[in-house]
Amino acid sequence: MGEEAVLTFERVWLPYIYLYGVGGLALFGGLFMVLRSEGFRSSEPRHRRWLNVLIFGFVWYAAIHGISTLAALYA
Amino acid sequence: MSAAAKAGESWVFWAIVIGYFIVVLGFGSWFARFNKSTSDFFFGGRRFSWWLITMSIVATGVGSHSFLKYSSKAFEHGISGTMAYLNDWFFMPLFMFGWLPIIYYLRVRSIPEYFERRFNRTVRVLATVALLLFMLGYIGIGFVTMAKTLQPILAGVLGWDLITIIWVVAAVAGVYITFGGQTAVIFTDLLQGFILLLAGIALFFLGLNWFGGFDALWEILPREFKLPLAHFNDDPSFNFVGIFWQDAIAGSIGFLFMNQGLIMRFMACKSVDDGRKAAAFNVLFLLPISAIAVACAGWIGRGMVIQGDLPADIAADDIFVRVTALLTTPAGFGFFVAAVTAALMSTVDTLINAVAAVVINDIYRPIVDSRKEVRTDGHYLKVAMLVSALATIVGVGSAWGFSKFDSLYEAHGFFHATLTPPLVTAIFLGIFWRRFNARGAVSVFVAGAGLMVLGRFFPGTLIAPFSHGIDAAGETPYKYIGALYNIVVCFGAGVVGTLWPYSKQVVSNAFDVSDSDENRGLTLWTLGTARHAFKGGVPNDARGEKVLAAWQIDDSLEPGMVLVDATALGQMAANAGDLVYVCDQRWWLGGLRSAHARFEVADAGEPGLIRLAPDVAEAAHFQEGRKVTVEKEF
Repeated sequence: MGEEAVLTFERVWLPYIYLYGVGGLALFGGLFMVLRSEGFRSSEPRHRRWLNVLIFGFVWYAAIHGISTLAALYA
Repeated sequence: MSAAAKAGESWVFWAIVIGYFIVVLGFGSWFARFNKSTSDFFFGGRRFSWWLITMSIVATGVGSHSFLKYSSKAFEHGISGTMAYLNDWFFMPLFMFGWLPIIYYLRVRSIPEYFERRFNRTVRVLATVALLLFMLGYIGIGFVTMAKTLQPILAGVLGWDLITIIWVVAAVAGVYITFGGQTAVIFTDLLQGFILLLAGIALFFLGLNWFGGFDALWEILPREFKLPLAHFNDDPSFNFVGIFWQDAIAGSIGFLFMNQGLIMRFMACKSVDDGRKAAAFNVLFLLPISAIAVACAGWIGRGMVIQGDLPADIAADDIFVRVTALLTTPAGFGFFVAAVTAALMSTVDTLINAVAAVVINDIYRPIVDSRKEVRTDGHYLKVAMLVSALATIVGVGSAWGFSKFDSLYEAHGFFHATLTPPLVTAIFLGIFWRRFNARGAVSVFVAGAGLMVLGRFFPGTLIAPFSHGIDAAGETPYKYIGALYNIVVCFGAGVVGTLWPYSKQVVSNAFDVSDSDENRGLTLWTLGTARHAFKGGVPNDARGEKVLAAWQIDDSLEPGMVLVDATALGQMAANAGDLVYVCDQRWWLGGLRSAHARFEVADAGEPGLIRLAPDVAEAAHFQEGRKVTVEKEF
């Protein structure tokens, strides 16, 4: 590991895209199933809040990884 | 002599270590007096608030080998060494609104019990074997990690070898959990969760101070070292895509869905919603903080090597102990060592408690029932304590086996990649595919596991197509990406087993989305039924308020019942027969003094007073003169 290492697309951004691409499929696929099931009651305000929290969590982690990647490259 | 070995010769160091353990064990033992039944011993009486559970989960998660393992990987690979800490969100919808309510409302005492209800006794036996293998192995890894933490210090001072240290830490852990149970573990973990995070963050700031601030450390680290994710597929020993499938997929699902110890922690929550809050807060906020706490010694160590403060040939597994010893005094070092080993003990204790739960509920109780013998709850409690002690001894045996692995990271990765896929697949298909049947589940455990073993023998033929371009290097090639192959063959075995013998009719039925009576309440699609059954009636979801009241025991009430006046019932939007949670008004007790009950008809109630059946009062541990909050559940 050294400064001279070449920071290719496979080294920097492909992992990020794969993580939130495949991971996003798992999360939103899961959400889709949950919303169609008896586990989620849209009439329940608490359940609607949880839906927002679940989406926020995805954005939150995508932001953490995105910002820290940019910081590593440019800060 | 290293700083760690020098610290081991200081009486201050040992005073801090021993004092810490006495405080922690005393803290847990005090709460052990709240164990009145096997429900208390295993699930803490299902009474605790989300914040208490989430902090106790921190100690269990962070304590599980994390400081040594992630410091080592962070030292070798940089910030990406912690990527496994930041990829646990993807399965939260299915956990929060699928698995968690299913196990909570079904009141299952163990994961294998779910398999018997969902399929049959054969599947339960297979799941029990798989789960016990997983947990006993995990206990062994915990013992090895504790011993490796203490070895650099103890080897020079007392001359103890790794196995001797394993026996000593196992003896302390075994005594504690055998008498403490789940309530003791939860409260000990609560204390240690706070201490671990504070200790890890303190170490981070001490490290920054060593370099003269964050900017100074950031400047000397190479750019590649600072990237949060590893190379996609370049390094066979540490690559992104392999670790994604081994940890983000198999590991995350394994941790959330089939870690009996963690599941028991969620089942100790006062409600499903509190379980959701505990899981969400833990993953969203505490895991990122924990990632810094457990890995910072590796980043600081790399900076120290670049500056020449540490030798370039230092072993990665020693970096946590060496950096901590350099940054602290003997007293401070003693505190760190005690905190880490005590947290590891929490992890091990959680698993020992979980093994006892599985053995009692999935092996011993069914045998007693089959003989038509009648045993008291006290008898089961005594057997649970005995099993806890035995699990400790078996754990030491598996620790010896895992001490042969090259690194803790490999031992842990081996477990998640090999032992989680069959159970996780069976759970997933069981709760999300209505027509997944017992034949399919047996296929997962037998054919799926068989194909996994074949993959180990013929990786170049069977696992290579899933390798994403990773080189097949070393004695165990594809050690991470093998998880993808294992998941695929287990899912394949489950689907083929369910559809066998193949015909248009079978396939058509397999994807029939109508309810089947035998699966009601056991799948995501029939959770309403599970909730209905949990209450024993139609759920009342009308929104009401909490009510504050004095309490009094009423011998005339039926067991499990409480009585309030009609006004209070109206404020709570409750009806007779609804479920109620009664809790000491002091929020900071986290539900320690609380109980679940059911509303009696309201005619005889008095304003500002809740009457409790004697068994409810005994379970709640309320104190004289203290008011309680009364809250309708549903």
